[in-house]
Order: sequence, then C-alpha cells, then structure tokens
Amino acid sequence: MAVGISYVSVYDNHGVFQKNNSRLLEEIKRQQQDLLGVDGSMHSVEFLSSGSDQHQHNVVSCRPTVRVLSPDDGKQSIVHVAQQLCRSVENKERSFKDINVSMLDLLLRESKNIPDPELVVKFGPVNSTLGFLPWHIRLTEFISLPSHRNISYEDLLGALQRYGACQQRLGQ
Amino acid sequence: MSWIKEGELSLLEKISANILKAGPMPKHVAFIMDGNRRFARKKNMERQEGHMQGFNKLAETLRWCKHLNIPEVTVYAFSIENFKRTEDEVDGLMELARQKFERLLEEHENLEKHGVCIRVLGDLNMLPLDLQQLIAKAVFTTRNHNKCFVNVCFAYTSRYEITNAVREMAWGVEQGLIKGSDVSEALLSECLYSNNSPNPDLLIRTSGEVRLSDFLLWQTSHSCLVFQSVLWPEYSFWNLCEAILQYQLNHKSIQKARDLHREHQALQQLEADRACVAELLQHHSNGKPVDSQRRQEALLHYTSCREERVRDFLEALKHKRDSFFSDLCSESLLA
Repeated sequence: MAVGISYVSVYDNHGVFQKNNSRLLEEIKRQQQDLLGVDGSMHSVEFLSSGSDQHQHNVVSCRPTVRVLSPDDGKQSIVHVAQQLCRSVENKERSFKDINVSMLDLLLRESKNIPDPELVVKFGPVNSTLGFLPWHIRLTEFISLPSHRNISYEDLLGALQRYGACQQRLGQ
Repeated sequence: MSWIKEGELSLLEKISANILKAGPMPKHVAFIMDGNRRFARKKNMERQEGHMQGFNKLAETLRWCKHLNIPEVTVYAFSIENFKRTEDEVDGLMELARQKFERLLEEHENLEKHGVCIRVLGDLNMLPLDLQQLIAKAVFTTRNHNKCFVNVCFAYTSRYEITNAVREMAWGVEQGLIKGSDVSEALLSECLYSNNSPNPDLLIRTSGEVRLSDFLLWQTSHSCLVFQSVLWPEYSFWNLCEAILQYQLNHKSIQKARDLHREHQALQQLEADRACVAELLQHHSNGKPVDSQRRQEALLHYTSCREERVRDFLEALKHKRDSFFSDLCSESLLA
C-alpha cells in the first residue's frame, strides 16, 4: 500500500486465510496502528472475503483493498458461472451458441469481482499455483520469494523491481 | 526437417537419464516454447529462420522425452493472440505449419513405427481451410497410435478452451443429454480440448518470461511450474534434466495438494447430488419427512443416473469432435 498498490489479495491452497480472515483483518489494523499511530485511521483498508458483500468498485479507488481468496474462488467459480449459463439454456433463455469468452468473463466479474492480478508474489518452495484463480492469471507475472517469514521491505521492493522489468508483448 | 529425430543418447546423457528415472518422473510435460525471435535477433537471422530452429528443437525434445520415458508432450505453438502479429509473420507461421504438417503426413510410416499420436488443440476454424484439412489428416491418420502423444496447441488460448467447454456442456443441455445441475469441475475438464490427456505434471517456459500467457490454465492448476531463461532454440538435454529435477523436488508437496483438491471435489459432488435428491424428494413426498434409508437409496439412484447421462453426453461429444476431423479429411479428398 505504501508503494501505491491499491488491490492486494492473499491466497493459500488450504483456505486457512479464508477461515481466519477476521484474525487477518485484526492484525492489519494492529500493525497500521503500530506503524502509523494516529494517522492509521486515515488510511483505512477495505477488507473483502468471499462471504462479504461485493459492490462494484474500480481497482483504482482511493481506498486500498485487501482480499482474501481460497481455492473455491478458482475453478469452482468458473463452474458456478457454467451452471448459471447451462440453467439459462435449460430455461430456454439463451442458446449455447451465445456463449463466448466475454460473456464468461463478465459473469465471473459480476459474481466475484476479482480483478486480474498483474503480479503474484509466491512464498514457499512449492513451484505451483495450487489452484489460484486459473481464469484470472493468464497474463500474471510470477515472482517467487523463499518465505513470508521475516520478509523485509527490500525483499518486496526487489520483487516489484523485477516485475517492472517484465515486458509483455501480448501475443505480438 | 523431420518431426522424428532418431538416435540414442550419449553415454553421459544416458547416465543422467537413469539417475533421474530412479525418482518420480513426469508422464506429461507441457512446453511454452518461447524465444525463437530473440534467438533470431541474437544470431542475426531472419525471424522465420528462428521459428524453423524452434521447430527443430521441438523434434529433438521429443526424442529426449522418448528416452526419458515421458510418453506425452503438449506444446504451445500458436496463440490466438499471435494473430495480432504482422500479416507477414502470421502468414510465415501458417506456411511453416503447412510445411510441417505436410511433412508429418509424408512420414506417416515412421510415425506408425514409433506409435506417435498427434493431436491439435485449439479453435481450428480460425485457421485457413487448407491448413485445417492438413491438420485433420494428421490427427485422423495417427489417432490410433498409442506409444507417445504429441499435443500441439494451435490457434489456442486457455480462456477460449474453457469457454468452448462451457459451450459444449450448454449444447449438451440444449440437446437434452444432461441437466444444468450435472455441470461440475470434473465434467468441465472432460469437455476441454485436452480431455484425452492427463493433466501435465510439469510445465516449462523458456526465454525467461515468468507468466503463463493463457496456456493450459485449468489443466496446470496443480502442475510443477519451471521457468527457465534459456531461449527455446538453444534448449538442451541438461535444461530438460534441470526441469525434471525441479519436478522431483516438488513432487511430494504437489501430490499432497492434488489429493486434497480431489477430496474436496468429491465432497462437493456429493453435496451437489444430496441437494438435488433433497429437492426431488421434497417434490414427491409433498412435504412429508423422508426416512434416511429412502434418502440414501434415492441418492445412490440419482448418482448412477447422473453418471449414465454424463457418459452418454461425453460419447456424443466425442462423436461430434471425431466427425469434425473426419469431415475435413473427406472434404480434402474431394477437393
């Protein structure tokens, strides 16, 4: 947030963050208090987990957002959208021929409103996405750091610098 | 140049291969063969030459995989996004593809000898018709070979593939073959272009880029990802060994995660079936409570009916896909 990143999500493949998301929020608030003192309340964070109300907001909003994600936000979300579409075909509300990539993308955005992450910082030795948001990561850069324990500002800044050096040609 | 490179490994390569083979080995490796153009610039060659070298490297890699007993390889040859390139480059790539598929057909005896099955995955109707016909012939003639499998992703992106799978399920619903409630993660997987293959164990991307570029996003959710900085036309046997070593180091943790996910999936399916059964029983019993034995019997019956529906639907889908290829083949004979 200090470097201007407005949307951060956290994920683990066991869904531990999801199950303990109130603890995460408390911890964030506590650290903000410790680090920023009185000013902490001026920089309040919008905290979203999959259960909470999703309202439309742009990624470039004034309030930084922290989102907690779990494996259910991945393939299962795509399956839910697929079920939705198939049910509307069952009810003769549309034909299978109408289904295209933008429709799926739009419905996913409506249901979960998760922006495509530009960067994933992966902690730990396992070289896999372990089910993280398959639809959303098509152009995401992956940078690995050994561990989140005792991570320093320099470590994170280093990762961001490496991200800055990435050049996307987008197929061209 | 040929798709099949003959020849044994060197002594040193053989020894390394045997050491690796003592540990867990991937059965399916996917490659994002990136770096052809940068290689061409580096060597002051034409771009097209870079792509040709890239193809040769593919043939060599298939030979190494054969010696390492890796029976299945999937490669990202042409993305739907690549249509955005200049007309010259796209035409050049289409021409290269034509040459390579024609060559493949010429080598069909060799392919039979080695038991190579070629599959092409993608939205093939985006390609020029004559190329579609060549591809169809290659796929059709090698369809019964079963010693090794080469899947070429051409006019492909993962989002298009997933969307197509959803469309196919919706088609199934429209045809009355399956219900909306039959849609599940497992069923979607069976409707992908890659449905005849197990998920890749290992995904390798060359040239130093650290993204997936819309390649096999669904299928690689629990694969070992290895990013290597070498440019594709310079890929070596040792680079491959390095990647396999990474696979071996990650094997246990990834296996655990895969098992966890599979258990979770099974639970979700059970919950979904239970919910459907509860709804059905609600209707039929007019609100009267249903005993647990009756509920259990209804659940078993519902599950087996659902599985039968799904089998019939997948059979129909297979038939539709096979017809697409065989129709293209017969069209080209008449042409």
